[in-house]
Formats: sequence, structure tokens, C-alpha cells
Amino acid sequence: MRQALRPLTTLVVGAVFAVPLYVVLANTFKHGPDIAPSPMSPPWPPTLDNLTAVMSRPDRLFWASLANSLIVTSLSVVVLTVLSAMLGHYLARTHSRWARVATLVLLSGLMIPPQVILLPIVRVLQLFDLMTTLQGLILFNVGYYVPFGVFVFAGFVRTIPRELEEAAAIDGAGPVRVFWRVVFPLLRPATASAVIFFGVWIWNDFLNPLIILGPGQGTTVTTGIYRAVGQFQVDFGTMFGLMFLASLPPLVFFLLLQRHFVKGLTGGAAKG
Amino acid sequence: MTAQLATRPARAAAPAAVRRRRWSPEKLLHFGVFAAPGLLVYGCFVLLPILVSVGYSLTNYNPFNPDTEFVGLRNYKLLFTDEEFLTSLRVTTVLTVILVVAPNVAGLLIALLLDKKGPFYNAWRAVFFIPVVLSSVVVSVVWTRLLADDGAINQVLGWAGIGSVGWLSEPGIALYSLAWIMAWQMLGFCVVVYLAGLQSVPQELYEAASIDGAGALARFRNVTWPLVAPALTINTVVMLITAFKAYDHIQVITNGGPGTGTTATVAFVVLQTGFTANRQGYASAMALVMLVIIATASALALKLLRRREVEL
Amino acid sequence: MSHTRRSALAVALGALLAVGGCTVGDDTTDSGSGGGAEITFLTFETPNLTPQYWDAAIKRITDKHTDIRVKKLVAPSADRTGYAKQLLASGQFPDVMLAVSPAEIGAATNLYAWQPGELGEFLEPTGGAIDGKVYQLPTNTQTIPNVYYRKSMFTEAGITAPPTTYAELLDASAKLKAKGHTPFVVGGGKEAFPSVLPLTATVATEVYRQRKDWMDKRRAGDVTFTDPAFVKALSLVRDLSTQGYIDRKMISLDYAATEQAFLKGRGAMYPMGSWFAAAGDKSDIKADIGVFAWPTADGAPLLPAYTGGGLEVSAKSKNLEAAKKFALAFQLDKDNLDNSVRSDALFPAIKGYSPPAGLGPVFTATYELWQKHVAGKSIVKAFSWETGSDSLLPGMTAKVYAATQDVILGKATPEKAAERLDTEWSKAA
Repeated sequence: MRQALRPLTTLVVGAVFAVPLYVVLANTFKHGPDIAPSPMSPPWPPTLDNLTAVMSRPDRLFWASLANSLIVTSLSVVVLTVLSAMLGHYLARTHSRWARVATLVLLSGLMIPPQVILLPIVRVLQLFDLMTTLQGLILFNVGYYVPFGVFVFAGFVRTIPRELEEAAAIDGAGPVRVFWRVVFPLLRPATASAVIFFGVWIWNDFLNPLIILGPGQGTTVTTGIYRAVGQFQVDFGTMFGLMFLASLPPLVFFLLLQRHFVKGLTGGAAKG
Repeated sequence: MTAQLATRPARAAAPAAVRRRRWSPEKLLHFGVFAAPGLLVYGCFVLLPILVSVGYSLTNYNPFNPDTEFVGLRNYKLLFTDEEFLTSLRVTTVLTVILVVAPNVAGLLIALLLDKKGPFYNAWRAVFFIPVVLSSVVVSVVWTRLLADDGAINQVLGWAGIGSVGWLSEPGIALYSLAWIMAWQMLGFCVVVYLAGLQSVPQELYEAASIDGAGALARFRNVTWPLVAPALTINTVVMLITAFKAYDHIQVITNGGPGTGTTATVAFVVLQTGFTANRQGYASAMALVMLVIIATASALALKLLRRREVEL
Repeated sequence: MSHTRRSALAVALGALLAVGGCTVGDDTTDSGSGGGAEITFLTFETPNLTPQYWDAAIKRITDKHTDIRVKKLVAPSADRTGYAKQLLASGQFPDVMLAVSPAEIGAATNLYAWQPGELGEFLEPTGGAIDGKVYQLPTNTQTIPNVYYRKSMFTEAGITAPPTTYAELLDASAKLKAKGHTPFVVGGGKEAFPSVLPLTATVATEVYRQRKDWMDKRRAGDVTFTDPAFVKALSLVRDLSTQGYIDRKMISLDYAATEQAFLKGRGAMYPMGSWFAAAGDKSDIKADIGVFAWPTADGAPLLPAYTGGGLEVSAKSKNLEAAKKFALAFQLDKDNLDNSVRSDALFPAIKGYSPPAGLGPVFTATYELWQKHVAGKSIVKAFSWETGSDSLLPGMTAKVYAATQDVILGKATPEKAAERLDTEWSKAA
């Protein structure tokens, strides 16, 4: 039946693709010692022991990492959004030569791999006395992701008619007022996609916290997993429990905001 | 996202009262509040380090060696004969080619498969995208377990009578296993981008093509393929940059091995040389060469692909 | 946005930024009363060395020295030297650290050189010295490698006694393979060091046996890795692989997985350092694990060992006195030593120390093997594990691990691998 071909193929392809996801899910709720001998079997009876073990670890690794990740991600995202929205708007509305140059310089930042700047960033942060601090990591994140933010926001701003802003300006509003009152609310799709991308990227960031934050200031969720894996290789139950819990926040975030994700990614593309 | 960089909206005639001198105090304040913070942070934390990097690359800077001396272009010359660096270039190229082609092609096919309305297809779209939001460390750890010599994949092969394969231990295979893992994680991204592109194709064009007697394949070739060009551009450039930046997976899965340099990309070698071997001057030179390569490749890709894009 | 809302947002952001300043660190062993000195202590975790082990050991010392507060740092993997280097490069060098390779960390500038007067309690006060200076407390001896084996598998394969000559070792391997057992368990994975154990053994039997100071000569440039004896050592490892006595697919197993592989019966012999005895004694099969020394060609006794492995102190520590006090106390505390024996099977090289009673069979066998060779004066160095003036140049250990893997996996001939090592050596020099 041709009608059934599409859903059937989807099911098969999707199921094969999702095997590793199934493995994580199944083993998280499986009795620890059963994991190694039969990694693919469904968890029966299911148990929450792995999760509780992780959450009650004596050095509070999970909770400390979670808190650090939350602080770094939320602060970075907020600052990034505000800064890149304003900068994007400014560059999109200013038609001077230097604005074009600045835009180019900013957008070329999109392709710079972090490794290129990590070596000297350590010196720069030391200069400002920001090494091993969360603020240092946050500032680095902001600087690094601003190009993407500008890319998204500038693009959207261009689709907003200038007349709206000019009308507000004539009514006597200053540029800041005009921006936050008139323009920003219209930028919601751009804000949504920017927030989502920044949030996921910064939450999952492994390299930068590893180098900038260092061990003295605790770990983030990603570096925490890496550290725990060394010790837990034998204790698969706790390892899977940790990975599951660590993946929940971005997962939930994504599932709640799915629609905006897609729109944000290609909002510009759809408009051509 | 196609023409945003190039076009500028037509200038509306501004009333005389709104015109100002070039750099009036109001304009400066406007600049200071809106543009300066973003530019400042970018300048300090991206541009400045790159300049510092250029500086380092001209020296033999090593944090353990107190006397740093200026060596000019020697580091760059050394790169040309450095076996480790040249191998890493080959590894990076292989990885990049696989990552640009495989998830792109598979992504389009799966997007075509999922391009229908309804909760069933939405759910599967979400399933494909989940690995994209997972941490690369989690993905790496899970796949290392699956591909271990006594892992699930080899167990299944054992049942099928094929016998186990050294997915991550055979030097000839390890790199492809790594590429597979990264492709798996990014596949959902390509799918979603293609889906959005597909859904922006106006139905009328398909109907017109059908009326003209075009079969499914012809419809795809003449309507779909040209109009998903923007999605192709995005996916290609994103995968290109992802491949070049690859580090997390390599560090967690193989640490550059097995053996010498089999999975060590340029990005990986830069960090190993800079932070583990502490030859930071040399590593900076390597990093800058890497930057030039990636900038050139991205610019080329963008140029070639943009030409294909059709303005709706 | 109205002025009030904007200022509210600004205040909120400012508050958040301020909060960002006080981070949520790990629950560190913040023992000791307020005041006094705070020092950072870099540790690493393995299946033997759990977080609880470290916390307990640290607490024992801070309870006795209440003026010292210790902030425990943990390396994200067993490669604590690599991590320490990273910390040094980013200005976060710890005050005290465990078993970081002094040669690789620029000891002369970065580590504190212990004075002979401070080393009175150590059996080998000059162990691991670099240019005559001791940076790493020479606390422990470890024999690397011992060959641990499954007695039951040997019996099943008709091997009546552990091999004493190399030919007997090959013979035993053939018999084990015929019975369907993988003769050697040799791993690798992201740490890579499990791969080097066979090479440490063959370098001991082929190179160090005749020339105990070979590494010193290499440092001086008088010999190279392409020396026929060294190439022979690499060839012997290669042969083990080509004959199927080493399972190449296991090279992707990291350290913990390799240990598990042996304990779960996926191989008959396991060349590993003496620290394995701790895990062996914790396992179900401890009564079935025997140990012998990697045999020489003619059966003459030989056992590679390394003495050192203790704590180091940063030369730039802000609380140098406290750091030194902590380090010495940590290493000489009897309970800590006893625990290190139990958890990590170390042989403390401290005057007047003898291991506690009630230790498991695997440790006892390993310890006795070592004592036998000490008495017989047949101890040599352990290639790639040395940390003093006789060690590999910084960055070379990783290259040696990779070279061993290349040879095992057939990616390079022993000659080519040796050549590459020489090239890398000249780059690092």
C-alpha cells in the first residue's frame, strides 16, 4: 500500500536512528549490574536507584554542576540577547561605510573556531583578572556568540519597516525608547531563536568551561560528566543516571519551544 | 536568510527635523548605548586574542621557558614539514568531507520523508533533533560504549554471525566511526533546516508541474531541488564549520588515537600542542593557518552556493 | 520600555552578575577552622581512588593541623599531568598536587625542591631527582608491570607453572589461545597508557638489563630509539600482536574498561602495574589471580620498578609553608599510608613502614614478588614511567604510548616507530 509506505519507512528509519537514545533511556532505569551484560534489553523491573544515587552523591557533583551551568547559561543568554539585539538593530539601521565594515568584521567571527582564541584568551582574561571566574566565562561567551546574535537580529530588523520607528521618533521618543517599545516586541521570533541557540550551545559547551573555569570553581554539567566518567566507568548505572539527568534541561527546553526553534532557524529563509 | 546581508531597504525621505549632523552628541549616545557594549566585548574577547595570537605565532613562546624570543616566520615554515600537522590536515579533510556530505544528503532524504503534517511526523522530527540538543560529551560516552569491542553493536554482529569489528581500535576505521558519531548527532539539524525549506516551497509550483505532466522525480529536480538551495547553503556552511571546530568528541572518544594521529584534526592538534606540550608560539601559528583555511573554505562554499539560490 | 522597568532590569542584571561572582564550587573538604592558610590540592579519580578516599585522607591531616584548609581539585581524567599543565598555562597552578610528572611540568621553575633535611623519613631520598634536586616526594614504589594471570585458565590450558623464560611465555600464550582464551589483555582508549605495559616489560628485558642507565644516555644524546635493542623491544610487542596473543580490538578500551575486561575473564594475562592488586583483591576472583614477572630470554630474574609517585608542591605557592607541611604530613601519616596500600596497592618507601595485616592474596603475592627481586638485586627502571632526570622529555610519553599502539595495530613497523620517536624527541628537546 503506497499510503503506508511513508509512515512505515519513517518508523523504520527513525527507530534505527533512535537506538542510542533508547539505550540511554533503558539503561538509566535499569538495575546497575544488569547494564553491561545486556545493554539493549528493556529495563524490567525499572528502578530509580541510578537517579537517586547521582542526586545524593556526597560531593554534590550533580547539583553544584547544575547550578553552575544554570548561572552561566542564563546570564550569558540574557546579556547576549540584549547586546546583540541592540547592536544588530544599530548596524541594520545605520548606513555608513564603517557600519558595513563593522558588520563584516562581526560576521566573520561566525566562523572562528574557539581553539584559535583559547590560547591567548587565557592571557587576556588574566589581564582583566577574570580567569577561573564565572564572569570571565560569561564575558567570553558573550564576545564569542555576539556575531551570531547580530546575524539573526540584524536580519529580522531589516524586515521591520523603518516608518514605524520614525513615527515613534516623531512622537518624541528617544532611540532607546523606540527600540524597546516598538522594535523589540516585533523581534520576538528572532529573540526566540537566538535564545534557544545560545541556551543550547552554552549549556552544552565543554571546551570553554574546561579551560576557562578550571577545577577550582566547580564544574559545569558537561565537564562534570567527563570527570565522573573516569571514576564511574565501572558503575554504569550511576553513569547513565548522570547523563540522563544532565540531558534533561536542554531536552525539556527544546520540547517546550520546538515550534520557535524551527521558525527561528529559517525565519529569514522563508521570507527569502 | 539569503539576501539580508546584501540589500538595504530603500531610504525613506526623512523629514528635515530628523536630520542631524554626522556625530552629534545624540548620535554618540545612541552609539554608546546600542553598539559600543557589543562591539567592545567582541573586540576584547575575540579580536584582541586573535591579534595576540598573531604575536605569539612569531615567537617561540613556551610558558615553561622564561626566555621567549622573536623567531619571525620560522613557526610557519616548520609547519610545512611537520608530519603531525600534515597528518592532521588529512584527517580534518576526511572528516570535513564526510560531515558535509553525509548528514546533508541523509538530512534531505529524511526531510522529504517527514514532510507531512500531523503529530506522527512532528514527533519523529523531534526525535531526530534530540541528539542536536544533547551534550557532545553524553553522545560521545554513549557511542563509545556502543562501539566498544564488547559493546552492543558488536554483540548484534555476533548474533548475525559476522563477528566483531574494532570500530574504535582499528586505525583505519576509527576516524570513520568518529565521523559517523558526529554525523548522527548533527543529522537532526540538517533535517529540520531542510524541512523548513521544503515547507516554504509554494504548493502552486508543484501543482503546475503536475499539470504539465511531471512525475515525482521530475518535480523534485525542477521544483524542490532549486528552491531548497538556501537550506543547502545553511547546512553546508554549518557542517563545514562544525567539522573544523571538532574537538569534544575527539577528546572524549579517542584522544587523537588509536596510534599516532589517526583521529587528530587540526583543531585537536592545536590544543594539544598549546596546552599539553606547551609550545604556544608554535600552536598559535598553527591556529592562524587553521583560521585562514576555514575562512577561505567558508567563503568559497558560500559564494558557490549562494549563486544557486533562487529569489522567490 | 519605561524608565522604571529598564532600571529594574538593570538592577536585576547587576544582582545576577554579582551572584555570578560567588560560584557554586564542589563540596570541597573545607575542613579546619576559619583563619589559617588555604591551599589547593590537585587529585585525580580512578576506580581505586574514589572521591571518598581523597576526602578521608585529606580530613585525617586537616584534623591534626587545624590551621590548614584544603580545597580539593579534581582532574577531569587520569591524565593529571596534562591537566596540571593546563592549569599552569591559565594561572591556576595548584599548591599541592599528586603524581604529576615533574619533568613535564617544568620542575625547575614551577616546583619546590625539597631539602635533604625534609626527606629524612624516606628510604630513597634521591628517588626521581632531576639534576640532583628532588621535586616529587619519593613516597612509593610500584612494580610496573607485573603479569597478573588467571590460574584457572592456565590449568585449563595445561600450563603447570608460570613461565620463567620468554619462550615459555610464548608457549603458554599459544596454549591459551588454543583453548579459546585471549592470552594478553592490553587496552588503550583515551588514556592510552594501558597499551605501553608490554613495552615497559620488553624494554626492561632487552635494553635496561644490559644497560641500566640507558635513559640517562638517551637524555645525553648518546643513544637513540633506533638502537637495535630498543627496536627489538618494539618488535617483540609487535610479534605478540601478529601472533594473535594481543587482541587488537581491545586497544580502544580505556583504563577502567581494560581492568574490567580482565576481571570479567576476557583474557588470561594482564600486564599492569602493581596498583592493580587493590582492584584484584576487591574482585570475586581474587583467589584465582596469580602474578609473575615478565620473563627474560634466558630466565634470569628481572623486575621493573619505579619509586616516586608522591606529592609535589608549587614553587609559587602563596602559602608555601602550609603547602609543604600538608604535603609531608599527608605522605607520612600512617593511616593515610595504610589506606593507600589498601586502596591503591602502593609499597610505601618510608623508613620503618611495613604494610598492615589482613591484605588480600593478590597484594601479598605482588609484594612478595617485589621483595624477592629487591633481595636479589634484580630491579631495573620502568620505561616511560620514570619521572626524574632519567625520564622522557616533556610531551614524549604520549608519543611513546601512540608508538606502542602503532606497532600493535600494525600501523608502523618497529623501525619506523622508533624513527618517529627520535624525530619527536628532537622536536621536544
